Amino acid sequence: MESILKLQNVTKHFGGLVAVNNVSFEIEKGEILGLIGPNGAGKTTLTNLISGIHWVNEGKIEFEGNDITLLPTHKRCHLGIARTFQISRPLKNMTVVENVMVGALFGKKSNLKLARREAEEICNQIGLEKLDTHFDKITVLDIKKIELARAMATNPRLIFLDEVMSGLNMDETRHMIETVRKIRNTGVTVCIIEHVMSVIRELTERVIVLDRGQIIAEGPYSEVSAQHNVISAYLGEDA
Amino acid sequence: MKTIKYSVILLLLIAAILLPIFTDAYFISVAITILTFMTLSLSWDMMLRTGQLSFGTAGFFGLGGYTAVIISADLGVDLFVSIIIGGLVAGGIAFVLGIAILRLREIYFAITTLALASVFSVVIRNLHKITGGPSGKIVFNTLFDYDSTKIYWLMLGIALGTIVISELFKRTRIHFAVDSIRADEVVAKSHGVDIFKYLIFVFVVTSMIQGVVGAAYALQYGFVSPESTFSPHYLLLPISMALVGGIYSTIGPIVGAIILGLSSEYLKLVMPYGHLIIYGVIIVLVVLFIPRGFYGTIRDFISERKHR
Repeated sequence: MESILKLQNVTKHFGGLVAVNNVSFEIEKGEILGLIGPNGAGKTTLTNLISGIHWVNEGKIEFEGNDITLLPTHKRCHLGIARTFQISRPLKNMTVVENVMVGALFGKKSNLKLARREAEEICNQIGLEKLDTHFDKITVLDIKKIELARAMATNPRLIFLDEVMSGLNMDETRHMIETVRKIRNTGVTVCIIEHVMSVIRELTERVIVLDRGQIIAEGPYSEVSAQHNVISAYLGEDA
Repeated sequence: MKTIKYSVILLLLIAAILLPIFTDAYFISVAITILTFMTLSLSWDMMLRTGQLSFGTAGFFGLGGYTAVIISADLGVDLFVSIIIGGLVAGGIAFVLGIAILRLREIYFAITTLALASVFSVVIRNLHKITGGPSGKIVFNTLFDYDSTKIYWLMLGIALGTIVISELFKRTRIHFAVDSIRADEVVAKSHGVDIFKYLIFVFVVTSMIQGVVGAAYALQYGFVSPESTFSPHYLLLPISMALVGGIYSTIGPIVGAIILGLSSEYLKLVMPYGHLIIYGVIIVLVVLFIPRGFYGTIRDFISERKHR
């Protein structure tokens, strides 16, 4: 398999706290990869490093063979790396469709008319209605969907979904799982960060388990979830 | 609905152009002042839409004024060309400074831009040979030889040009860049917005407008001095006008400039020594009770009723 993203010995510390410690892994083209681990394991920091919100202290990040370690965030987006935010960050001064248009306008570089049409199409696929409402009149699920739609509008080749399922009920989760499958089937590589294990079990072909900034296990979910060190990372040593 | 909107705009435009024919010299001079501050107010608001509170308005206004007077007095440059060069110099300096200061945010950016006007005026005060130092500088031929009707049309033209630029900013991708930067920079850049590029662009364009206004204003009187040209008036009044009218819009600063411009003239006549107190009270009341300004409040009221 060809890899789309390659991390080599990536380290990030905030002052004395080492958030990501010497992490190396690859994401394969076309897969759905799960990134799991207990709270504070460094999953979101890793996403921030890959999307360029934070700079790495050491190590190297390659995307489709190009070194992107020093590339600013917006250029990584232009190359095809998209992400959603764990705590949803709707652009509060815009309507639903305008939020999504930002992705199409600047990620994909469409013109206004085209961006509007693309945004409507993506909202349609993801099941977002009431396109012209302001964010303060929509539900949590819709805000989650905006995150996803806005990221998809940038026309990514690799997308990071940071806890898109949290706070959703069963039906909504079902719907989200189907949506993620559809996204992968259009040829986008997906890396999903999730605490809901049933989602990870159902969606992913491979998972990487992080604990205290380091990779402690890697493989199919069924194998990894049985490993002693993974269980103790989640539940403590005595479990 | 659209035809009504466009006919109203057309009527207002014709009224604005024909205004000097129907009014006396006093009213024309009031109108010129209002147009001057309206343009500054609008340019300040355009920068504010990026989320950056700039206090540099008076600084770039003064730079434009000084540039125009110096090059027309010493180099004999045509007055209209001087106005354009005044804008270009202000824009150029904004570009160079912007590379450094647009890395700052919020209060740090605001304070730095506030310092700019002082720095400019201190430098100019000490460059005696070029700027005339503390006593200022004079150019003997003034714009249209004090013909206030023509000056009115010139200022109207500059104001209309700024209105057009502001509307272009509102109707193109610039609007989406600027609004997303204001709402959440991390989201903006994660979705491909080159934040720095757009901030520099808006900062340079608005500074150029301020430079042009400063140049046109200085050449009306043919005089610049560090105190009068860099006066905090050219910062505080435009900000007040935008706040009173309603920020983040084109119409807001226009409405605010007309309301505050007319009321300050009227108050000056009624109570020559106390008018600034009333003026201040108006601004405080607006900020307290209709923080979105006159236009902003009416607009939101109408759109809320529509959606009900």
